[in-house]
Amino acid sequence: MAEDITLIIDGVKLTVPEGTNVVDAARTVGIEIPVFCYHPRLRSVGMCRMCMVAVGIPRIDRDTGQCLLENNRPVISMFPRLQTACTTLVSPGMVVMTSTDEVKRAQRGILEFLLTSHPLDCPVCDKGGECPLQNLTMGWGPGTSRFEYHNKMHFEKPVPLGDLILLDRERCILCGRCVRFQDELADDPVLGFDLRGRDWHIISKSDPPFDSKFSGNTTDICPVGALTTTDFRFRSRVWELRSVPSLCIHCPVGCNVNLDMRHREVMRVMPRENLAVNDIWICDKGRFGQHFVESSERLTTPLMRRGDQLVQVSWEQAFETIAERFVAIQRKHGGTALAGIAGERLSNEDLYLFQRLFREVFGSNNLDHRIGTPGDLPDDDIGVMLGVGSGTSLVTLGKGTTVLVIGANPEEEAPVYLLHLHQMVKHGGELVVANVRPTKLDHSATLSLRYRPGTATQLVRGLLRVVLEEAGTKHLSQKTTGLAELRAALNHPMASVVSATGVSEDDIRAAAHTFLQAENAVIIYGAEAMAEGTALSQDLGSLALIAGKTGKANNGLLALLPWGNSRGVLDMGVRPDRGPGYAPLASAAKEREGAGGRKAAEGAVQRGLSAREMWNGVVEGRIRGMYLMGIDPASAYPATRTALEKVDFLVVQDMFLTPTAQMADVVLPAAAFAEREGTYTNAERRVQRVRPARPAPGDCRPDWAMVQGIAEAVLALLKGTDEEQGTAKEPRKKLKGKKREAPGGAETATESPGPSWGYLTASEVASEIAERVPGYQGIAYTRLANAASRGGWGRQPNESFYYGGTCYRNSEGVGIQYPAPAELSGAGFSLKPREVETTSASGGDTRYPFLVVTQRLLYDGDPFLRDSQLLAHVPAPYVAINPSDARSLGVQAGDRVRVASVAGVLELAARVSDEVPAGCVLIPSNLPGAPLSMVQTGLQTRVAVSKVGGRRE
Amino acid sequence: MIPEELAEMALFERETQQQYQHQINVCVASGCLSLQSDQIRESLEKEVRRRGEERWCQVRGVGCMGLCTAGPLVSVGPFTDPAAALYQEVQVSDSLDIIDSLGEGAVSRLVCPTDGPFFQRQVRVVLENSGQIDPERIEDYIAADGYEGLLKVLTEMNPSDVIEQMTRSGLRGRGGGGYPTSLKWTTVAKAVGPRKFVICNADEGDPGAFMDRSVLESDPHRVLEGMAIAAYAVGAGEGYIYVRAEYPLAIKRLRQAIHQAERLGLLGNRIFGTTFSFHVEVRLGAGAFVCGEETALIASIEGKRGTPRPRPPYPAEYGLWGYPTLINNVETFASVAPIIRNGGDWYARIGTEKSAGTKVFALAGRVTNTGIIEVPMGITLRDIIYEMGGGIPDGHAFKAVQTGGPSGGCIPEDYLDMAVDYDSLVQVGSIMGSGGMIIMDDTSSMVDVARFFIEFCMSESCGKCVPCRVGTVHIHDLLTRISEGMASMGDLSTLVELCEMVRNTSLCGLGQSAPNPVLSTLRFFRDEYLAHIRA
Repeated sequence: MAEDITLIIDGVKLTVPEGTNVVDAARTVGIEIPVFCYHPRLRSVGMCRMCMVAVGIPRIDRDTGQCLLENNRPVISMFPRLQTACTTLVSPGMVVMTSTDEVKRAQRGILEFLLTSHPLDCPVCDKGGECPLQNLTMGWGPGTSRFEYHNKMHFEKPVPLGDLILLDRERCILCGRCVRFQDELADDPVLGFDLRGRDWHIISKSDPPFDSKFSGNTTDICPVGALTTTDFRFRSRVWELRSVPSLCIHCPVGCNVNLDMRHREVMRVMPRENLAVNDIWICDKGRFGQHFVESSERLTTPLMRRGDQLVQVSWEQAFETIAERFVAIQRKHGGTALAGIAGERLSNEDLYLFQRLFREVFGSNNLDHRIGTPGDLPDDDIGVMLGVGSGTSLVTLGKGTTVLVIGANPEEEAPVYLLHLHQMVKHGGELVVANVRPTKLDHSATLSLRYRPGTATQLVRGLLRVVLEEAGTKHLSQKTTGLAELRAALNHPMASVVSATGVSEDDIRAAAHTFLQAENAVIIYGAEAMAEGTALSQDLGSLALIAGKTGKANNGLLALLPWGNSRGVLDMGVRPDRGPGYAPLASAAKEREGAGGRKAAEGAVQRGLSAREMWNGVVEGRIRGMYLMGIDPASAYPATRTALEKVDFLVVQDMFLTPTAQMADVVLPAAAFAEREGTYTNAERRVQRVRPARPAPGDCRPDWAMVQGIAEAVLALLKGTDEEQGTAKEPRKKLKGKKREAPGGAETATESPGPSWGYLTASEVASEIAERVPGYQGIAYTRLANAASRGGWGRQPNESFYYGGTCYRNSEGVGIQYPAPAELSGAGFSLKPREVETTSASGGDTRYPFLVVTQRLLYDGDPFLRDSQLLAHVPAPYVAINPSDARSLGVQAGDRVRVASVAGVLELAARVSDEVPAGCVLIPSNLPGAPLSMVQTGLQTRVAVSKVGGRRE
Repeated sequence: MIPEELAEMALFERETQQQYQHQINVCVASGCLSLQSDQIRESLEKEVRRRGEERWCQVRGVGCMGLCTAGPLVSVGPFTDPAAALYQEVQVSDSLDIIDSLGEGAVSRLVCPTDGPFFQRQVRVVLENSGQIDPERIEDYIAADGYEGLLKVLTEMNPSDVIEQMTRSGLRGRGGGGYPTSLKWTTVAKAVGPRKFVICNADEGDPGAFMDRSVLESDPHRVLEGMAIAAYAVGAGEGYIYVRAEYPLAIKRLRQAIHQAERLGLLGNRIFGTTFSFHVEVRLGAGAFVCGEETALIASIEGKRGTPRPRPPYPAEYGLWGYPTLINNVETFASVAPIIRNGGDWYARIGTEKSAGTKVFALAGRVTNTGIIEVPMGITLRDIIYEMGGGIPDGHAFKAVQTGGPSGGCIPEDYLDMAVDYDSLVQVGSIMGSGGMIIMDDTSSMVDVARFFIEFCMSESCGKCVPCRVGTVHIHDLLTRISEGMASMGDLSTLVELCEMVRNTSLCGLGQSAPNPVLSTLRFFRDEYLAHIRA
């Protein structure tokens, strides 16, 4: 622990932790020292000279080592020069004066100098109104200037630093915050300085220019209007904006944002501080990738099929038709002839009601959130059971922490985590990065392991072996079974692990050792790891358990799931094999009975069909009706088109008329996340809330309300017309013990609906989730609004707003991280290893010599990127090939190549890169027009590659 | 190399040299080289060979003999020896005459008298070998007691003893700041770090200063030996010499010297068989003046943009790559070996009480004898300029002497009898600086002089901090207006305020001292400013 130090600033005695600088110290007692270059998240450089103060320290008697006293007061010797407060650390007995004449002269002088180089074009500057230069000039500057106006610097303005960020060199005061952000935090050192003296200016050093996924943050911390985004430039004056707290729903980080609204338009997206999630940063996809909300292609009314046409209908017509058709199918073929798939960027409320509709109203477990491609990743359950403990904050990790990142590329999968991991290493943490290929995280890694494709499980078993050797089971505090089986599975000589994985024994031992010895340890695994099957995640869980890294804050597993609410989807039980809260189906059904339902029907306790099985089910005639919510299988997995065409009745609920929606019988228009209430659960199980920022276009409704509309219409139909009114208007008071009449004569043995429907608001749904979904106890909207955010590294919450540029305080809630089961007493876990399902890169079919390594990209064929400038960053579909393989294939970069598997063929542009292991090809999973699902044969796919137009010899 | 071998080698080399009846020394430092002294050397060698007299007559290239204005210089025998002949403005065609004259008296038309004050008033400590030994042969340096100091500290002294001798010597940093060298060494010695570095600052950038270049070209081993002794004293194992790329000859000789010393085991691992190891590398500066500032210099060595950073932390605690680092100037390191050989007390007896020892100055500008001199501290400016420098040429009158380069000030005639030491120079608004001394006569406009220096600082400002980046521009603008007769009295007071602002708030020494030439000319030559304004 840092020691506390007492000093005096402007006569005020205060005590702050050792290592605090004078700017921050003064702020704790409300004394403001103006700054430009200083930013609490960046190293102090003392270059703007704005924070100069007079500093003195007590004179020490050389002989006694004590302070010299005079009249019982320490004798202070003042430094001959003013000191920059941002680079001066507090020391015991220090005396600081922030407003002497000398200090004021210096402050006025610096501002005068800055303004003589500044164009004073505030009336046309986007920063005007939230500009630190304006504010500090008003607070500390001279009223007039002694210099001639014509003597200003003039530059062409603005010049693009990249396609998203523009630089106005006249406005730039050269504080270097942007350069330092890119160097120190983003680890993308793409900005730099050019020339010197008064010609000094910022340039981009990379090709393509400003090649970073975090570029937008530089505009936030810019203390003047020098950096502006092409997205917001000249769109609005900041004082016209109304900030609405929200979330980014693109990736599992769940960054807190503010939507800055003018009337009903989202003018810009800004980060909102949350020290447990995103600190004060967001990635460029979160900032520039929300234009889909205002797309002119949004659906505005329900549509219904009339022949070849989809025509507008009223809500009543839509719900009635859906109810009639679904009930008809249910009566004729049973509830299990109905199936539903919901997307992973919908809120918990939508997903909860969606599964209720199927389980309780239709009596079907045919639920999924995947689209059924052969490459669908298995559901991640271990990652929640042994998930990072509540209270975890990646932002504050540092010395004493080891993070093992395996089979993940955070830059593409969860960009803001990259910033946190980079900082963690800077603060003394250990970062072990294991992957088949280099990723950007290797820059920060303290240890990089490069294993052969398909051998991650073996690598982890090697780690497990070392951990068991070193520590035995002494750290194993959880109740577990299967230790013997685990030991048996590890019973290979280490040499076989080394030869299989290609990782040296020293590295394996070093990685295991730092993991075991760390005070705190987190395992992050991503899509490439999950593609190795559940055997890997099981072993990762065992590794954490045996090393004693579970069940407490800053320890445990963290899965990088694909989307903003991928965790919520699993939590809400939108899957064929588990109910809400990962409850087994039987107990979930029982719980519903307890909550007022009737005895469960058989269909409700049987495992339902997965998405993949649904498509077969449609073809075989077992599935007759489908309800797709916020998901577009027709584009992502074209093979589903046959089934989508064949299915008797298809309801699609979406914001857009997607290819799937075009095939639907009824299309329901959904409100976007910015138009509604809802909660999302991020990768760390933090439940956070979005709020309506704008009215939904046309007749759009929140997804949960449409699910409820269907449920109510179905129930009304089942009960008979005489009760219809009652159902709709009956207020929902009690959830439990409220018996409802079973729908009369329904032979299909529909389970009784449990708690009634008729939710008036999303918050009512959330309250029910809080009562009925294990883990979500007590997570009500009112509690989510609690903004108690604690800082790390001895920081103040919201301290970054101290002339830190344009960031938003979080006064609207930081969310609640619900405890992982591992934190609860009595939970038991299995250590039993699972069968390894994967094939390795070596060996295999000679007709299909290459193993596909699937790569997730941040900027891919995501339909949510529509209308965004980021579309220009989406690469054309490509396959990356190792140079030696490319040579033997006769393929050069840029050639068209045919990638063929047993399942299908894709034609892609070739890239040649030594980052791809030999014998493998790297293909992004979701680039527009080339869904990888076309060639996938399973989690691991083998393909043949040939040059188009030239045959292989 | 084992200790005994050093003495053997020195003895052998001395004996070899004594076999020569005549030694012809040709200056091959930059000044004379630019006048083709290398061709003179070649033609002398050729002539000696042609006559078959190689066995008793040796022709060598040596370092700078100081009187650059009279170059190319050639001496027969050591030029400091009154019996030797020093020839000035030698040409290739003079070779025959010089060789003809050997043993028969000097060639009178070429003789450069060495009995004048320019040579006789010098006290040569740093320059003891300059112009006497071949800088490209380590054997020459060893024969002149080279590396004996290093041997002494490694075999007879503790690091603390070394620092004790430095303390006794009273040596102060010769880069200009005058910080007591032993204090700096003590701080680095006390600092804790897994690695420590010694850096030699050879980024001599002041206009008109060429002392360091002369030392590096004339006696590179002296600097290496000083660095090695310092490394031993502070516990460093690695060193860098940061030389500006504009000094190609100095760089070549330094690299050669490092190579030679490593081959003999005088640098590298386990020097003299002790546990002490020291490795030195040369790093080149790319011509930025600010890289002479120690933190900018460190950034530059680290491969970053050479911009300064605030101190503290000082490099002594947080230097190169974050490790404790000792940075001294060329001349400081060059003074170390003699201090160790002769003892700190010997050095302290030279010079004044608070500024001990000698100082090398580069005389430039409107003075008869331009060149390099080494004088004891405490000598007066008048002695330097009129006695040694030979006064102002062409019948003009002295106006001012500028010391300390762009960070220094201009000193008028009234102060010519002032003793030259660190503290006196500060009192008159100048600084010792690294040793550049520019003499101006009555044809110079002091406003233009001030403007020249501020323009230099303006264009050399790295731009990192606001006052230096912007302030120097405004000072320059005001000076331009004044010199063009467009200024008012108000501008004069603004000028003073600006200068004080830039001095008080700039980040590094460049900005903090940039206004000095303006302030000192305003102090002593205010009339010239007023004349411009009233005109």
